Amino acid sequence: MPAILEARDLVKRYPVGSSSVEALRGVSLTVEQGEFVAIMGTSGSGKSTMLHLLGGLDRPTSGEVVIDGVEISRLDDESATLTRRAKTGFVFQFFNLIPLLNVAENVALPFLIAGGSQAEHRARVDELLELVGLSGKAGNRPDQLSAGEQQRVALARALATGPAILMADEPTGNLDYTTGTEILDLLWDSCDRLGQTIVLVTHAAHAAAYADRVLVVQDGAILDEIKLGRRRDHEARPLIARLAALGL
Amino acid sequence: MRLGDIAWRGLAARPLRTALTVIGVALGVAVLSATLITSQAATEAVRRAAQELYGDADLRVRAFDADGFTPRSITALRQVPGVLNAAAVSEKRGVVSTTPSEDDRTFSLLLLGVDAEDEARMRPHELATGEFLDPALPHGVLVNAGWARQNGFGIGDELILLGHRQGVPNVRIVGLLEDAGFGALASGSVMVLNRDFLAEAFEASAETPVPVRYVDLQVAADRTDDVQAAIDAGLTEPFVVETVADAEAQLDRAQAGFAGLAFLFSMVALAVGAFLVANTLGMTVAERTREIGLLRAAGTTSRQVLGIFLRQGGAIAVLGSLAGVLAGVALAVLLIAFLRSTRAVLVTGVPFHPGAVALALLLGGLVTLAAAALPAIAASRVSPLDALRPSRQPGRTLRERLPWLAALVGGALLVGMAAYPLDRGRGSLAGVLLGAGILLGGTLLVAALLQPLAAVVGRPFALFFGAEGLLGRANLGRDRVRTALTVGALTIGLAAVVALSAVSASARATADRWVESILPGGHGVRLGVAADIAFMRPEIESITGARLATAIVESPAVIVEGDTAREAWLAGIDPTAFQDEGALIFVEGRRAAAFEALRGGGAVLVPEPMAAREGLAPGDTLRVGLPGAEPVELEIAGVVAYSLPSRVTDGALLVSLADARDAFGLTEAELWAVAPQPDVPISAFRDALEETARRNGGQSVTAAELADQLGRSLGRLIGLFDVLALLAVLIGGLGVVNTLAMGVAERAREIAILRSHGMTVRQVQAMVVTEAAIIGAVGGLAAIGIGLLVAWTTVTLSGPREFAAGLAVPWVVLAAVVLLGIGVASAAGIYPARAAARTSMTDNLRHFE
Repeated sequence: MPAILEARDLVKRYPVGSSSVEALRGVSLTVEQGEFVAIMGTSGSGKSTMLHLLGGLDRPTSGEVVIDGVEISRLDDESATLTRRAKTGFVFQFFNLIPLLNVAENVALPFLIAGGSQAEHRARVDELLELVGLSGKAGNRPDQLSAGEQQRVALARALATGPAILMADEPTGNLDYTTGTEILDLLWDSCDRLGQTIVLVTHAAHAAAYADRVLVVQDGAILDEIKLGRRRDHEARPLIARLAALGL
Repeated sequence: MRLGDIAWRGLAARPLRTALTVIGVALGVAVLSATLITSQAATEAVRRAAQELYGDADLRVRAFDADGFTPRSITALRQVPGVLNAAAVSEKRGVVSTTPSEDDRTFSLLLLGVDAEDEARMRPHELATGEFLDPALPHGVLVNAGWARQNGFGIGDELILLGHRQGVPNVRIVGLLEDAGFGALASGSVMVLNRDFLAEAFEASAETPVPVRYVDLQVAADRTDDVQAAIDAGLTEPFVVETVADAEAQLDRAQAGFAGLAFLFSMVALAVGAFLVANTLGMTVAERTREIGLLRAAGTTSRQVLGIFLRQGGAIAVLGSLAGVLAGVALAVLLIAFLRSTRAVLVTGVPFHPGAVALALLLGGLVTLAAAALPAIAASRVSPLDALRPSRQPGRTLRERLPWLAALVGGALLVGMAAYPLDRGRGSLAGVLLGAGILLGGTLLVAALLQPLAAVVGRPFALFFGAEGLLGRANLGRDRVRTALTVGALTIGLAAVVALSAVSASARATADRWVESILPGGHGVRLGVAADIAFMRPEIESITGARLATAIVESPAVIVEGDTAREAWLAGIDPTAFQDEGALIFVEGRRAAAFEALRGGGAVLVPEPMAAREGLAPGDTLRVGLPGAEPVELEIAGVVAYSLPSRVTDGALLVSLADARDAFGLTEAELWAVAPQPDVPISAFRDALEETARRNGGQSVTAAELADQLGRSLGRLIGLFDVLALLAVLIGGLGVVNTLAMGVAERAREIAILRSHGMTVRQVQAMVVTEAAIIGAVGGLAAIGIGLLVAWTTVTLSGPREFAAGLAVPWVVLAAVVLLGIGVASAAGIYPARAAARTSMTDNLRHFE
């Protein structure tokens, strides 16, 4: 499969007073089209920093990120934004829906940002709402939805433009286990059925177990790569055993 | 560190918000103190002007008859026991010209004839330079120093009195009067000269001496009543006795409009400042709910929390009020200089009264503290549990805050009433209070109805600006109370601009309608002196291009009812000319029948204000006479909207020229209405008119010029208040900065999400500016409704003479106000927009484990 995302020797340093802290130390990775990759690590390991760089939300101190053939790390803010708009989708821990827009409007937001109208993309919005199981709630306001439903809307929004890659940063971190599992099922389903490439950042083994491949991050570097393969059962025990072997 | 220090640190931690709030309060207090000082300057100027005009005189005996007092009457007044000094003043409007030269110019002046020695004893005439009049130099004159400077005259320069008899020498300027006393009359277009010289100069040519209008009397102590009784018993000619207090009251009434507007704008500034403080501190409380909860959890009592926020309010009050008073003094200097230059309102120099400064400080401080009270109380009610909750507690609803805001504004109004003298003139208190009530009440109503308004007004923005417009509109519904207060603060200043413009336009429309209706043909000439109609007619009719020339005679008159007579003014017109030219607007009585009745004789047309006040209608009769003469019974043939201007406020009673001649003996006219031929170039006609006027010591007039003059002086005064209203808009703009900056800070994560989904920096900025623009548009549109309501109330409540043309809607200004609202708010949105654009995605999208 062709690589949809490539990172080469990513370094990220943050200035702290007169010195600096190295959050990422020369990370390189490749994600293939249609692949589900999890980035796992403890708090402060650098996994979120890595996701921000891979998604073009931040720029590396050195190294490069190529998304679907575009070297986003070299682009200015305007061009990086347009690339992000076209090629990536994001789901975060806090669903961050716009409270004053209804469900359909929230899902259509990426189209609106791109200058389109909701009417032009009604069919796509309906399709996405059906995908996430919220067909009957298009007119609801976010505060009328449960936490799990809100995250489903956020997922539909991230998938709206058919991004080359979907970045999910702890998407179940604010949900109970059952609801979180429903979201992970949806993510896996979109990958398996629709061929959506997904990069998932998580600290939870049961979430990472949905991935085809798990990158274990520690101290700003990839400590290990665990290949789980595409599995329907999402059984976490093999992964936990491997992590235990790594001393995590 | 002590607990109270948290208050100061809280202010220091948000320097922009604190600074903007202090500036907002300072601007409000500045407007308040500037209007206080200016109002005081006007009050002092009135007192001073009355004293300067009267000097040492205790009584002014004013002739009621147009012919003034005879020399015999003046002597009789001098000889009344108890009179220490008597100064007679003759008065006439005249035209002077420069001595023959290439630069030949003419000026219309008020000519005052005085007896130099009596006058010097009666009034201390302040001279900028030169000498007072000297009987030994009969043709020496005094003119206003400012007028002289403006026209390039100085001591020793000579001028020619136009229309004087042959052989009278040119007058020579011997002294320049300060802008006070006689020097301030007729807006400084005044010349004081020896009375005998003035009488001699015109006696032969005008066939009537320059009349002595009044005689000022200095009376021995405690003899005023005796003197007045002696005058009543001894003087045979009609007269009126006035005192300094009468003059003060008259001058004061003339300034009532200014006092009322000054009061209104102080209230506007105070209210907007109060809105700003309430909103800003409310934001701070909302933002610090968790922190306050932690303090409460650590054992801080609610009273201590209240103290922290009241300290913050107090600090803003002190800083804002001090800065505001300083700025207010500077603003007052500008206002007073402006008013002096326009002569729209009588003002002295900048008065310094510690009391006024203290009052401004006190009012500013009290209103700011009162505005800070509700947020402080809200802060004191924060529960320790609030610190533990993940999301901020919802703020108070607008419904909860409205009564408090209404009470705050009402309180400010009461305090303002205590500070301002509002007992000037008819209806000024009720009118101003009603205007202020509508302005503030309407603004609170807009705040309450903000959401539906924003939904409608924001729709075009959403359609035009796409996602930015949609989100900008949606953001307005996020913190409704905060947005409502922000829109309210902006609305109030904009509404004041609308109200002022509509009132100004209405007054202008009335002036236009008035002048056009009373000057048939649209042009006229006012001669230097009244002249026999039959004698002058050939000359006026021979004016090049004149199609029609009709004389208008004018005279003081009385209306007699039983044993009493009241002052009136009579004008004789040619009914046929007025009818054919479409002059006069009838509000009662049929036009054709009324003119026919005038032609038939024994009929009169009554101005509407008089008819409305006295319940007069066509068919009623009036007994009208000249002072001292037998009255004539006249039947009212119609009521006209406007009549010729007169010394009485209602306007003139109109009779036919034939009746004026036969029943009242009036055969001389100063004013002629002249209509041009359609095929003659208007410039040639105007030149000919001008030449005839000059030859007869008079001036040409046109309806447009007269209307323009009437409108311009009002326009200048309105322009001044427009500046104050714009300051209130500026304060409202500061509120927009605060509100949006707070909104952006609260929405940092949401903005980061939008950025992550591909919203560019420019789009983020556009979203915030659009949000601001919608606030401005709502404020502007609401201001149109409120402002027009205020103007309509003003127009409706005012006398029929002031706004007889009804409410004129200044459409261009209305559009400009909406654009101004959008512009000010959008400009205010730039800083928050830039802050929003700097929102870090990575900082705000981090997850918690």
